[in-house]
Amino acid sequence: MKILVPVKRVIDYNVKVRVKADGSGVDLANVKMSMNPFDEIAVEEAIRLKEKGVATEVVVVSIGVKQAQETLRTALAMGADRAILVEAADDVHTDIEPLAVAKILAKIVGEEQPQLVIAGKQAIDNDMNATGQMLSALLGWSQATFASELSVEGDAATVTREVDGGLQTIKVRLPAIVTVDLRLNEPRYASLPNIMKAKKKPLDVKTAADLGVDVAPRLTVVKTAEPAARAAGEMVGSVDELVAKLKEKGLV
Amino acid sequence: MPHDGQGQRPDMSPILPDLAALTDAALPVAGSVLEQARAALGGRVTENGRLSPDLLEREQDAAHGLAWLATYVEALRQLRAWAGRLQQGGAFGEAEQLILQIGFGEYLSQIAGGIPMWQAEFFRLRDLGIAAPELGSGAAGILMAGGNTPAARHRLLELVRARAGHATPGDCGLDAELDMIREQFRRYATDRIVPDAHDWHLSDALIPMEIIGELAEMGVFGLTIPEEYGGLGLSKASMCVVSEELSRGYIGVGSLGTRSEIAAELILCGGTDEQKATWLPRLASGETLPTAVFTEPNTGSDLGSLRTRAVRDAQGGWQVTGSKTWITHAARAQLMTLLARTDPASDDYRGLSMFLAEKRPGTAAEPFPDPGLTGGEIGVLGYRGMKEYELGFDGFRVAADNLLGGVEGRGFKQLMETFESARIQTAARAIGVAQSALDVSLQYAIDRRQFGKPLIAFPRVAGKLAMMVVELMIARQLTYHSAWEKDSGHRCDLEAGMAKLLAARVAWACADNGLQIHGGNGFALEYPISRLLCDARILNIFEGAGEIQAQVIARRLLA
Repeated sequence: MKILVPVKRVIDYNVKVRVKADGSGVDLANVKMSMNPFDEIAVEEAIRLKEKGVATEVVVVSIGVKQAQETLRTALAMGADRAILVEAADDVHTDIEPLAVAKILAKIVGEEQPQLVIAGKQAIDNDMNATGQMLSALLGWSQATFASELSVEGDAATVTREVDGGLQTIKVRLPAIVTVDLRLNEPRYASLPNIMKAKKKPLDVKTAADLGVDVAPRLTVVKTAEPAARAAGEMVGSVDELVAKLKEKGLV
Repeated sequence: MPHDGQGQRPDMSPILPDLAALTDAALPVAGSVLEQARAALGGRVTENGRLSPDLLEREQDAAHGLAWLATYVEALRQLRAWAGRLQQGGAFGEAEQLILQIGFGEYLSQIAGGIPMWQAEFFRLRDLGIAAPELGSGAAGILMAGGNTPAARHRLLELVRARAGHATPGDCGLDAELDMIREQFRRYATDRIVPDAHDWHLSDALIPMEIIGELAEMGVFGLTIPEEYGGLGLSKASMCVVSEELSRGYIGVGSLGTRSEIAAELILCGGTDEQKATWLPRLASGETLPTAVFTEPNTGSDLGSLRTRAVRDAQGGWQVTGSKTWITHAARAQLMTLLARTDPASDDYRGLSMFLAEKRPGTAAEPFPDPGLTGGEIGVLGYRGMKEYELGFDGFRVAADNLLGGVEGRGFKQLMETFESARIQTAARAIGVAQSALDVSLQYAIDRRQFGKPLIAFPRVAGKLAMMVVELMIARQLTYHSAWEKDSGHRCDLEAGMAKLLAARVAWACADNGLQIHGGNGFALEYPISRLLCDARILNIFEGAGEIQAQVIARRLLA
């Protein structure tokens, strides 16, 4: 069984994001970029399925600027077998919308014929949480989102989903799309031998145009703003005063 | 698209016009000052056309000053070469330009005014009767006057803050593979080492075996061992990056590989085919942890005079008797690379032999279970995690096959062959400690508020941090240069010695400045900078003390 894992190059989770002065978006000049953490979890899960003998090949795909090659190399160093880069933008500030990404992925699925697509539930940059679901709709495949456990037996996958207030376990028929949540696994560190091997693994480059997908935006960003600055605190002299203040604000 | 630095009026930029050309033009000036110094001192220490040890000792201050001067000139060359590589790759950004400019401005000024060989020992050109007016004019003069200015330091620090999240403050100019190695090891260290390092230090605990197992799995111990012996055959440059990032987490962890590196180099350079086949795969996998057993209570830097003796026994093996000290990670190790005197008639390096002495790893209750071997722990300020021991050998037995290379009397030479690698690795450890000091101090300066603003808003705090950034890059480039020389198969004892000499000073400066920024809190054991100060202190002592390093460099330059 082949597994396809889409990975996105996003602003590193350690970076304090700066909004551009004109509010048109986030400033990415000189900013450290890394693999979307949820996608790392997806890559890890796919590699584990291969190590268990469930999967035979793990293919990673990224859509975006050419620098996303670095992200793919990281996935290869973790243990993926092969990578595909779909160049769809020249400027690091161009974000490809989920529908366009899903359409490109659908084309790649057509070429690669995986039985399973494991994706991050969302990218930490714009938190859309839509690509996996859209891909499922485009392909007419089963979907299991927010996975915190995954097992594959025969032609079905059993997925425990993190839902509000608890867990839900469902069984979906393959081929399927699984989007993964934070608690599914802890991604490994690429070892030195695997980093060396990654250099020699194939990385194909295509363009969105090759696949016949129009990536022109359909959404308009009206405004991007920093979170409101935290208001100054107030010192209280006693527990009684604290309780009185909290009551005054209607918090207790 | 807004870029860092855009929106500033060009006349406000603290970057000197034609910086690349200025630095290019300043290099030969610095080089000629070095040649003048070398010639002036050469005349004073040579007798009958040969370097005289007595005269060299009389001129020790100037000789060590020459070593420092040469180190500065080489550092500037390598900084300029780094900038050139970045320029070619289109990555010579504003931060990197400022590092180049401040580095040149400061180091040229120190060459002209006095190089601190130590806190209160300065080398001045006039000590050698050199006036060097050429430093005060032309390109060097412009860099000295306008290179390291408060405005340049301030702007550099702004840019470093904007780059937060990047592994290093400024692009190190390494290739994508080394960047990936750094990335992975940085992540590993951040997740697995940093949260516990300070507790390990405070409780004087051994680094957990679990961590050693994880490092082994990641390939740390076989990094530079050739593939045919179960290693990865990676470059010394990758060893640098791995050592840097692990030491940035904790110097003890970054130093685990040092002993494997020394043992592997000893066996690779001096071992028989059987010894290579037996030991290298075990070292590479981390299955065998080695320890370096050279120093004695009365012989530190003067190793040639050591007294521990190895005598042949009836079975053709060896009986070792004597005392050793400063043996790092000794209790846990399974293999001692042991230097001992096999020729009782000798009293210098010629009678020494190296052994691959097997021992059983100990436990807390019984640290040294082998017959004829006892040990006691040495309490230390810093550089903990592996523990230091003094060892007593009393008829300790070494098997006949375990004389390195199978021939007596080669021990000292065999050890000398490992110095290049060990010094490169130690320079990288120093860089890791220095970087860690910068990391915690920068964060502290941002978080801590006094007089209504964060510490970083005060020029002398920001200036300290900016100089840490600059000197870190200088030390890095000098270290990578020596690693590349080693990788190319060139003799690089000079370069490796310079890298170690400078990186150790930079580590101490970063730790001390970092602690100063922390104020009273830095003096509290609770804050990691207190540990970094203790850890940084060893770097100027081990693997060739600062004075010994300068001596070795000076001898090479004057010979």
